[in-house]
Amino acid sequence: MTDQRPAVSVEGLTKTFGPIRALDGVSLTVGAGEIYGLLGPNGAGKTTLIRSLVGLVTADAGTVTVLGRRLPDRAILADVGYMPQAPALYADLTAEENVRFFASVHELDRHRGARSAADALALVDLTSRRGSVVATLSGGMRQRLSLACALVHRPRLLLLDEPTVGVDPQLRTELWQRFATMSDEGTTIIVSSHVMDEAERCGRLGLVRYGRMLAEGTSTELRRLAGVERLEDAFLVLSEGRS
Amino acid sequence: MNLRRTGAISLRILQQFRHDRRTLMLLFGVPIILLGLFYFLTGAGSGLPAVDVVNQDHGPMGAIVVADLSRSSEITVTETTATRAESDLSADTVAAFVVLPPDLSARALSDAVIAPTVHLEGTQPALTQPVLLALDQSVTRASTSLAATEGVRVPVLEPTLDYLHGGPGLDTLDYFGGAFIGLVVFLLVFVVSIIAFLRERSQGTLERLMASPLGRADIVVGYIGGFMVVAALQAVEVVVFTLYALHVHNQGNVALIVLLTLLMTLVAVNLAIFLSMFATTEFQAVQFIPLTIVPQVLLSGIIFPITTEPGWLQVVSRLLPLTYGVDGLRDVMLKGDAITSGPLLIDLAVVVAFALALIGAATATLRSNAS
Repeated sequence: MTDQRPAVSVEGLTKTFGPIRALDGVSLTVGAGEIYGLLGPNGAGKTTLIRSLVGLVTADAGTVTVLGRRLPDRAILADVGYMPQAPALYADLTAEENVRFFASVHELDRHRGARSAADALALVDLTSRRGSVVATLSGGMRQRLSLACALVHRPRLLLLDEPTVGVDPQLRTELWQRFATMSDEGTTIIVSSHVMDEAERCGRLGLVRYGRMLAEGTSTELRRLAGVERLEDAFLVLSEGRS
Repeated sequence: MNLRRTGAISLRILQQFRHDRRTLMLLFGVPIILLGLFYFLTGAGSGLPAVDVVNQDHGPMGAIVVADLSRSSEITVTETTATRAESDLSADTVAAFVVLPPDLSARALSDAVIAPTVHLEGTQPALTQPVLLALDQSVTRASTSLAATEGVRVPVLEPTLDYLHGGPGLDTLDYFGGAFIGLVVFLLVFVVSIIAFLRERSQGTLERLMASPLGRADIVVGYIGGFMVVAALQAVEVVVFTLYALHVHNQGNVALIVLLTLLMTLVAVNLAIFLSMFATTEFQAVQFIPLTIVPQVLLSGIIFPITTEPGWLQVVSRLLPLTYGVDGLRDVMLKGDAITSGPLLIDLAVVVAFALALIGAATATLRSNAS
């Protein structure tokens, strides 16, 4: 909270996959404790951007600095939580075994791991299903379990790639309240979405399209910039203006 | 049944084949490769077992038999001295040597018996049969012509068989038991690990691990650790069952058999991690079985002796890890080699080298997985 350095700093990030330019000179700075929303249509480059923040994408050009450390730097990943778009879980393990595995991967000892796993499962409302094998859980439950696995080690930076897909509205509201609490406690959260009502809950937003950062700002700022009432319209106006 | 709807399914299957070039290659390429291998291993392409002949006969019979043997279509014959023949046999450069004794002609005339001594290497039954067959044919032809000129009875062949390793008490199971221990363990561990690792890739958890403080080596060594616990139990079970329930002949140290088996599983686990890089689905992973396992079964000397393969195929055999595992297991179980034996140490060293190289390759492929 007192850390004045940005949690994430990206400069001129470029990545091409064959003929596709997934990222085209993206720059981005996210302060500690911020909730930053990456907004854009499918294929805009949001996922590639998030994956490059955990070293899964080796950029063609540009730099990524996470929690004060220039990537690639495996050690800093201990302080980062990453939730991929599709729930990546061990289908033949129970919910609790999954969470505890990811706790130990992040070097939590047995005792702390068990306690953190219980907390994380409670957070996503899966305590009653902790003994269930993942293959028997519904899609929404798996999504929540995947989130629990991403935050079990209480990371300082949480990267969520479309975390609320398949989650019902009530739990979605609860999760966003929880994100807000974590943010207040100093956790930096970067979340991608193409759902506009979620975007309203973010502190700042970045509009991504064609691998470029089209505009940045709070929801209010973006709507004012585009001269429209609704964020959705702002997105359309701003992306047409630049593409 | 509706022809249009049914046809849609057939058409879709053909479309899927069109998109899956690898499966097409498997369906149309692998049969050619495997049948070609069979041709070279069994047919015109394969070489003949090498046999030394020592002719000590004082009479005319020995020279006739040697001359006939040298035209044999079953074996390749070299005439040499007894000392030379013995060293050839222990160096494994010949499958057998035949000694035609000084009284060969004399006994053929007096007792109507031809009694050469056949010294067999003994660990490869596929090499023993052609030797005895060729000897029988040559002796029959030689003695028939001799009998005609001398006007006596046609003598019968009564060879004395002497085994360098093993002996007449060994049956087929004894010969193949050791090789099969290696094969069964290698095959099962390979299949289970390639599927397990492919699931790690396809369900996205590998990506998640790569986004954690875990290094690539951590992941590979962790996999080895987990699989080796199960593989060790499996190795002990297989060895105990083979030796004590099936009573397969074993002359060597049981611990060496378990060690070799464990090293084979280490190779199998890492080969699986390495190859899983080249598969995107479990379906494609299963396709690696005919591609990697079947040629190894054919070329590792389990069934067809490597020494009778065409030269270029012997080179291929020497590049396969299973060859050394099988050879090592035979050294221990049939020859009773100890850890100090040179050939066994070479086999062990090569299998260890394969394991280390594949650990390196498996670790390296994890790197390229993160684009």
